[in-house]
Amino acid sequence: MLEIDGISKSFFRKKALSDVSFKVKEGEILGLLGPNGAGKTTLIRVINRIIPADKGYVTFRGKLIQQEGLKNIGYLPEERGLYRSMTVEGQIIFLARLRGLKLNEAKEQMNFWLEKFEISGWKKKRIEELSKGMAQKIQFICAIIHDPDLIILDEPFSGFDPLNIGLIRNEIKTFREKGKTVILSTHSMRSVEEICDSVVLINNGEKILEGKVRELRDTYKKGLYAISFHGNMIAFATALWAGYEIVDKQTHSDEHFTVYLKMRRDNEINDLLNAVMHQVKITAVEEVLPGMEDIFLEEVNKTLNPKNE
Amino acid sequence: MNKTWLIAKREIRDRITSRSFLGVLIIGPLIVLGLIYIFLSYDSKEKQNWEVLLMDETNLFEGKLSPKKDPYLDFHFINDFVDYDEFANNQTFSKFDLAVWINEKVVSNKHVIIFYREKPSEAIQRRLVYHVERRLEEVMVEEFTGLSVSKFREIKQPLSFSLRDTYDPRNEYSEKAAWVGFTFGAFIVLFLLLFGMTILRSVSREKSNRIVEIMLASVSSNSLLSGKILGIGISAVIQVLSWIILLSTGLILFRMFMFPDMFSPEIVAEQLNNPGANLTSGHSPFVSLIFEQIRFGNMVVFFLLFFFGGYLFYGALFAAVGSSMGSESDGQQFIIPLNLLLLFSLVAGYFAIVYPDSSLTAFFGFLPFTSPVIMMIELANGFEVGESWRLYLALFILFVSGFITLYMAGRIFHNGILRFGHRLKLGLLLKWVKKS
Repeated sequence: MLEIDGISKSFFRKKALSDVSFKVKEGEILGLLGPNGAGKTTLIRVINRIIPADKGYVTFRGKLIQQEGLKNIGYLPEERGLYRSMTVEGQIIFLARLRGLKLNEAKEQMNFWLEKFEISGWKKKRIEELSKGMAQKIQFICAIIHDPDLIILDEPFSGFDPLNIGLIRNEIKTFREKGKTVILSTHSMRSVEEICDSVVLINNGEKILEGKVRELRDTYKKGLYAISFHGNMIAFATALWAGYEIVDKQTHSDEHFTVYLKMRRDNEINDLLNAVMHQVKITAVEEVLPGMEDIFLEEVNKTLNPKNE
Repeated sequence: MNKTWLIAKREIRDRITSRSFLGVLIIGPLIVLGLIYIFLSYDSKEKQNWEVLLMDETNLFEGKLSPKKDPYLDFHFINDFVDYDEFANNQTFSKFDLAVWINEKVVSNKHVIIFYREKPSEAIQRRLVYHVERRLEEVMVEEFTGLSVSKFREIKQPLSFSLRDTYDPRNEYSEKAAWVGFTFGAFIVLFLLLFGMTILRSVSREKSNRIVEIMLASVSSNSLLSGKILGIGISAVIQVLSWIILLSTGLILFRMFMFPDMFSPEIVAEQLNNPGANLTSGHSPFVSLIFEQIRFGNMVVFFLLFFFGGYLFYGALFAAVGSSMGSESDGQQFIIPLNLLLLFSLVAGYFAIVYPDSSLTAFFGFLPFTSPVIMMIELANGFEVGESWRLYLALFILFVSGFITLYMAGRIFHNGILRFGHRLKLGLLLKWVKKS
């Protein structure tokens, strides 16, 4: 649906993006990750035609994005802003009309979203009367009011309480169910793991990683297993003998532990269970997959210290 | 265009619903009307006794006027014509304040010229006209008709009197008219400053509260800038037009109820019935200046044209500074020179009043920074026949410069609007102008 092809951008002598390319499929949620100053916001601005790229192209459904095509994109920038003296109603309708909606459509959509978020009573309030979180909700509505096919959300969870984070997260999932495509730039790795289908990791203006979330976690797994049990820790460790390497342990109570270990030689979970099941009472066993945060840190560190690779 | 208009409409709504806008809209003209009233009510302490030289070339009046002596006018007859220079400079005539030329064909051309050293008040003018007219009526009735004087007065044609400054008989230069032009120019500067700063604040506020990024995701930077300048421009026009309407209404009301036309038949009749009436009431020289000498229709049209041009020129500059500021406190080093440039146009205006014919004044007249003020002054003074091209050329230069400035401001706006935290320098602005 969206193709980023060799985008480079410099601000005078400072390189912000260098030959970044990737594709976003229709109906997927893509996490755009990277440390602060990596170039994510610059890339998002290039996609939105807010700033032009020095090199490269952005195509949407096979066509170069033009000013007119922006009505298919919804954008929630990281730096939020609204006209403080305008009413909620005036603000939403104004931005909806700028996105190409007719007055009646804008009003209809506004009422729908205000009711959905149970904030119809705010319609006549001025933006300056709203709390930060309340204003964030209005901004979110402004970003998606024109029912775009591609939604770009830059740090959509910042400034929200956990309740509203859940609300926004559910909305993003609903977009996917409706076949919308979402680009999500966030530092919330939990959200990435929970809702993103794929990720692109950018650092120092370069793309350093790209792939499906599940596949990446699989690729980066270290053969680590977590086994939880009730029983004696010494008996457990003795039973393992030399076939396994204990990496870490968590003590939940005197007789309740979770041990993290790696298999040695060709041992598998069945062998592990056979070795310990007569010594302790096993409550859970699972393979530990790396979180996106681990992958993120590992990859970013690689670019910071290339010699350690 | 549709999006530009949407942005413009928001700006208009934002402006016209603000208290400060409404305050300036209503209180501003009222203050100006108050000041005009003070000027109009100003009673000049003028001479109480005027020595009048009546130049009766053909001895038509036979050395006679009304048998009743006028308490303010002393008439002295000569059967000769004294020209401007002689009257102005010859010692023989220095004791006369006024010279009335009854030309040899006055019976047919009905034209009388009055030279003055110091312009007489309307009351004195009226008395003078009254005496000359009455005597001429008597002469004409006696010589040409069998009618009674009263019957003749019913059917007579009025005399045309021309009042001329003996030191400037062609009325080439009138400082008072120039000051009226200056006032028009000063109003242009006031509105440019007011609305230039409005553009700057509007752009920098949107930049600092970051809504500009949402806007730019929907419209191009050129549309955003155009919409802003258009919207604030329209609200400026609303403001200016309401000033014009309120001031015009005020001036008409002044004319109707406070400073009536002293030459209107009703007033003349009233005064003639009461010749000893208070001479000085309502006779400020500004009354005739404002109500008779200034061609307001012309002035207002060119006032609006120069305001549009100036707004385009200065508005674009203010928008460029607003969009390139790194923070709200940044950019002062550019705002002050811009304001000084506007104030300089007033200084140039003063220069044009003192030295109206200097080449520097002509140069300032074409310079887009100063032309709105200079040209309003020149317009008030009046252009010589064949010289009005200078007015149109100044307007042309102003509009062309305005569009060039707008183009450059568009580039600065495009490159600077999403840059934060920097310190604004001239070099940076130039880089942004060059960068597409």
